[in-house]
Amino acid sequence: MDMLTPDLVAGMVATGATTRVDVEAVQRFKVGDEILVRNINPRGHTRLPKYLRGKRGVVERDHGVFIFPDTNAHRQGEKPQHVYSVRFSSVELWGREGSPKDSCIVDVFDDYMDRA
Amino acid sequence: MGSAHTRPLSDPEIRVKALESLLVEKGLVDPKALDELVDTYETKVGPHNGAQVVARAWTDPEYKKRLLEDGSAGIGELGFSGMQGEDLIVVENTPEVHNILVCTLCSCYPWPTLGLPPVWYKAAPYRARAVSDPRGVLQEFGVDVPEDKEVRVWDSTAELRYMVLPERPAGTDGMSEEELAALVTRDSMIGVALVEATA
Amino acid sequence: MNGIHDIGGMHGVGPLEVEKDEPLFHAEWEKRVFGIFFGLAPHGYFNLDEFRHAIERMGAAEYLGSSYYEHWLHAYETLLMENGAITAEEYAARCTEVAEGMD
Repeated sequence: MDMLTPDLVAGMVATGATTRVDVEAVQRFKVGDEILVRNINPRGHTRLPKYLRGKRGVVERDHGVFIFPDTNAHRQGEKPQHVYSVRFSSVELWGREGSPKDSCIVDVFDDYMDRA
Repeated sequence: MGSAHTRPLSDPEIRVKALESLLVEKGLVDPKALDELVDTYETKVGPHNGAQVVARAWTDPEYKKRLLEDGSAGIGELGFSGMQGEDLIVVENTPEVHNILVCTLCSCYPWPTLGLPPVWYKAAPYRARAVSDPRGVLQEFGVDVPEDKEVRVWDSTAELRYMVLPERPAGTDGMSEEELAALVTRDSMIGVALVEATA
Repeated sequence: MNGIHDIGGMHGVGPLEVEKDEPLFHAEWEKRVFGIFFGLAPHGYFNLDEFRHAIERMGAAEYLGSSYYEHWLHAYETLLMENGAITAEEYAARCTEVAEGMD
């Protein structure tokens, strides 16, 4: 469409714009894998929060294949890859100040981690 | 020449008026479409949608199973879908687990079921503390999570969106779906409040 | 980028402030800013990832010192000028006109 007109709004809202893509991508991890988050410090866009860098987690779920924001934000391609729910214990993230029963579950792209 | 404004415009007001007028002149935006979008989120898409989903899940165990298996499909059954909720995951509060949502990097939020997020959700203090001190944050919201209960913080860093299915409170047996939906607050679906048996 | 937006776990960013019965938008201009995103989306001037990164590029002091929809406004200004959809000159000129009450 060239311009969003009022009659097109409802359809746009109801459809949205998923970034899930129907392509195969190498899946480096499976549920249950112990992972180590990479220590990356890109100058550009990333969706890896720094509180996860170098931390160990466990893959809980594979969400499938999505556009990779780190490249897409710089028009360097969609580089579609798997995104996983990864659980990090509070103690792993925050050390002594963490609470033993708690955890953070974060969506982590395939490119952000390695097997522990 | 136009009329003078009755009070000085603030900096963002000036910039927005200027920007919108330029975009309209260049044929890039239709202001009426903008009006329609605002109206959509002011009146149509909001937490009343999520409340319906919760009430249905509380009263229909098979629906609840489907909802937890595939959140987008689940809310789709009730007619909710789309922007910022295309890939939705519903996480369930139980006697053992309390879930709380955050987007530390920006403000990602499940629009189709909760509408647009409140200011506190998008601001630095919540985003900073929800991941490192969820129990402290919950306490400030009036929720005391027992020590033997597990807290899970979901940080939506990718395009998956999350929504909490709060626990059904005691004292609600025999309530209709509509009555139950009226009890469900936005904050309970973010995970910073519990649902009370009386609205 | 290691920007201020990456705030998970940070200390000292202020107390939780919850406004009771908060309105969806706090000013008319916020509504316009909200709508403009979707008005611009069909033209492909920027994608959501670029938009977020434009906000991340704001600079720490400005980011913390401005409101949520000011972040969006900043991103539009940045991206539309970088993409040549508007020029800095015409934008500045229009802002001056608006400020002087001559819409």
